[in-house]
Amino acid sequence: MPKPKVATDWLAGCSGCHMSFLDIDERIAKLVELVDLRSTPITDLKEPDENGCDIGILEGAVNNTANEEVAKRMRERCKILVALGDCAVFGGVVAMRNFGKIEDALKRAYVETESTDAEGKIPSDPEIARPTRVRAVKEVVKVDVAVPGCPPDADVIYYVLSELAQGRMPKLKDELLHWH
Amino acid sequence: MITLTIDGKEIQVPEGTTVLRAAQQAGIHIPTLCDHKHLFPYGGCRMCLVEVEGARTLQPSCTLPAANGMVVYTNTPAVQEARTFVLTLIFSERNHFCMYCPVSGGDCELQNAAYGQGMTEWPLQPNWQPYPVDGSHEFIVLDHNRCIMCRRCVRACGELVGNFTLGVQERGASSRIIADLDVPLGESTCISCGTCLQVCPTGAIIDRVSAYQGRLKDVTRIKSTCVGCSVGCGIEMIVRDNRLLRIEGDWDAPVNQGVLCKIGRFEPLTDQGERILTPLVRRNGVLKAATWDEALHVVASRLQAMKGRNGSGIAALASTRLPVEALYSFKQLFADKLDSGIVTSIEEGVTTALPGWVARKLGKPFEGTLDEIHKADLVLAIGVDLVENHQVAGFFVKRILPQGCKLVVIDPYDNGLHALADFSLRPKKETDYDLLVGLMQVIASLGMVRTHPIGTHDLTRHTPDNVSRMTGVPAETIREVGRLLAMAERPVFIYGKGLTRASFPTALEALLDLARMAGALDDTRSAVIGTKGQANSTAAYLLELDKAFDLKGHQVAYLALGDDRPSTRLIEHVEGVPFLVVQASYASPLTDRADVVLPAAIWAEQAGHYVNLEGRLQEARQGLTPPRDVRSNLAIFQALAEALGIALDGNWREALQSRVWIGQPDACR
Repeated sequence: MPKPKVATDWLAGCSGCHMSFLDIDERIAKLVELVDLRSTPITDLKEPDENGCDIGILEGAVNNTANEEVAKRMRERCKILVALGDCAVFGGVVAMRNFGKIEDALKRAYVETESTDAEGKIPSDPEIARPTRVRAVKEVVKVDVAVPGCPPDADVIYYVLSELAQGRMPKLKDELLHWH
Repeated sequence: MITLTIDGKEIQVPEGTTVLRAAQQAGIHIPTLCDHKHLFPYGGCRMCLVEVEGARTLQPSCTLPAANGMVVYTNTPAVQEARTFVLTLIFSERNHFCMYCPVSGGDCELQNAAYGQGMTEWPLQPNWQPYPVDGSHEFIVLDHNRCIMCRRCVRACGELVGNFTLGVQERGASSRIIADLDVPLGESTCISCGTCLQVCPTGAIIDRVSAYQGRLKDVTRIKSTCVGCSVGCGIEMIVRDNRLLRIEGDWDAPVNQGVLCKIGRFEPLTDQGERILTPLVRRNGVLKAATWDEALHVVASRLQAMKGRNGSGIAALASTRLPVEALYSFKQLFADKLDSGIVTSIEEGVTTALPGWVARKLGKPFEGTLDEIHKADLVLAIGVDLVENHQVAGFFVKRILPQGCKLVVIDPYDNGLHALADFSLRPKKETDYDLLVGLMQVIASLGMVRTHPIGTHDLTRHTPDNVSRMTGVPAETIREVGRLLAMAERPVFIYGKGLTRASFPTALEALLDLARMAGALDDTRSAVIGTKGQANSTAAYLLELDKAFDLKGHQVAYLALGDDRPSTRLIEHVEGVPFLVVQASYASPLTDRADVVLPAAIWAEQAGHYVNLEGRLQEARQGLTPPRDVRSNLAIFQALAEALGIALDGNWREALQSRVWIGQPDACR
């Protein structure tokens, strides 16, 4: 049986979940025996194989049209989609923005920021992504496995991937289940 | 007894027990959120739903009384589904994002409940409605976004503290915890006891000091005793890296059962001023840092020279915030070994000398325990402001008022209890005795004397009309209060400094006779409680450290302040003394003026025992390591004794038994 292909990507987040992924340390050698690690934001191949992957992993929330596209592409090309970390699962820190208005957030970021000069203006080029309300990944595409945590521990990530690689659905509980 | 079956286990409980408590007693876990073991069942959150055979729907176990033959299941698929559904709704209501919440990671009961249900996500996303954050309070932040409307804070404020500051306004999604009639918490009638903070299951009520400073797993909890006053509440110090993050009330402590006041919970965490970190010795008029050996040598040689010179030698004074061990060594060193002219405590017996005199005259203790308050149908408080001082005893009074207990307050001065009293009596100064005899006269004239008084009081002269003229209290009020006392089934009398400060014990003796007549004091029961002063006020009395501190003619004054604050009176009093030694934790005008300063540990940095106002001997444990050159008060006395070539023993337990105690007969053991 060929090794399952794994692709990862990150949306609106801090990349901390991928850092936590790397924290599995030497176990990554064991993991590549089990899986075929394909595209990730920290390797050369950036997009999941067009002919499809087995496992897709998304970190971060969906907060603009570009994220939406990435999430949808990942969903289309993967059999099992994993939402990795609190931003992907719940909306996370990114979703704090939803308690206010998008316009206010943009103003704060592009106009009122201490480092912005008097002419600070909000980018409006039609070519760039348009900000949206922040959503958990499951609000945009179907998610098969939710792995909460800010970030999820390396142990949790290792457990989830090794279970999926061996054709089992991971069950997070007790020590492996935390949202913080 | 009632027999019911929970999860196949047969359980016997007393009638009136709820299914939840029955399950808990049998070691069966039912998750809860609004339930709290010190509050009345509320049934607000629906986390504790269980399946009861024959019942139409799931039942909240926290409000369901156990009944004979009841068969309960706590772990069926329907129950599990309901729990997850309840949590789903709660998470969808407000901002419950754990990643930036200070209680996430062990301290949050909501999060723990979700983990218990194995929830890896929220089935419903939040509705993104922002709620206000009230940061107006000095110590407490009220974040409505984290609130699950369990109303534990509201219930604790009323049921445990009797303050009724917190309430709820509006309905549905707009409902919100409010202070008073929706004013900022910092401008409300809140008394900063922090009980709401301690019962909040989420991060809705957090304190400014400890928020984000450490999760449950990062901190150490040390059970100890509060040294804020003579009540002696049980506390837990929450410590991280030798920093005191937070103080919580110990729910299991016999005295306070979890509640604390502002003085116990928050004040020790505020800026206490400049610490003395090294011994200081005055050389050529200037205080300079010195080694312990140098400082002890200077003090020892001066004490040695003044030894035994009664009246012109040593006067020694210790704070009643020091542990018994330190007070005992202090007494041994200065009274027994150095024969000092005066050896006393900072309180000079102002709250204990008089009751002590009465107890010795009676040949036995006469006071009851604080727990009497909980059974009272009438409380008479005289010369004590329980809203300002000994606040937890005040909570006990305030919390029983809604149950119909009457409150009579006698105090010529402003007193926080006046506003809560059914009868607020403000007699002219120094007329307490006449007012009390006037109340006796009413009871006697009604023919309702329960126990005859010991003293002789001129009842014929103390008619309500005459007493009214003497005291300025209306005659009708005297009659009504007298009648209330005569009718009360379980009256409790609480007295304080205002009564014991009087020059002669007659007013206190009259209070005891009034208590006897009203049935609060006989051979089987005492419901008379004296509030005393600071944490070891009682121990100071038992060790006979209760004389007046009259410095006249003394050449050396040794003030063992510990972390106590000197009064202006004390500062002025020692102004002219030729040689002043101050053993203190904090810089003050006294340490500035001292010839030698010895740096002492604060309460949290030393261990020892305290005797509370009831006579309960309690342990205070060490939670913090003192700075390098700072020593515990006991260690300082021991070092000083060693420098003088004096041996001290540690028989403080026996020493506490040598004097007739004021409170419970078996206390102090």
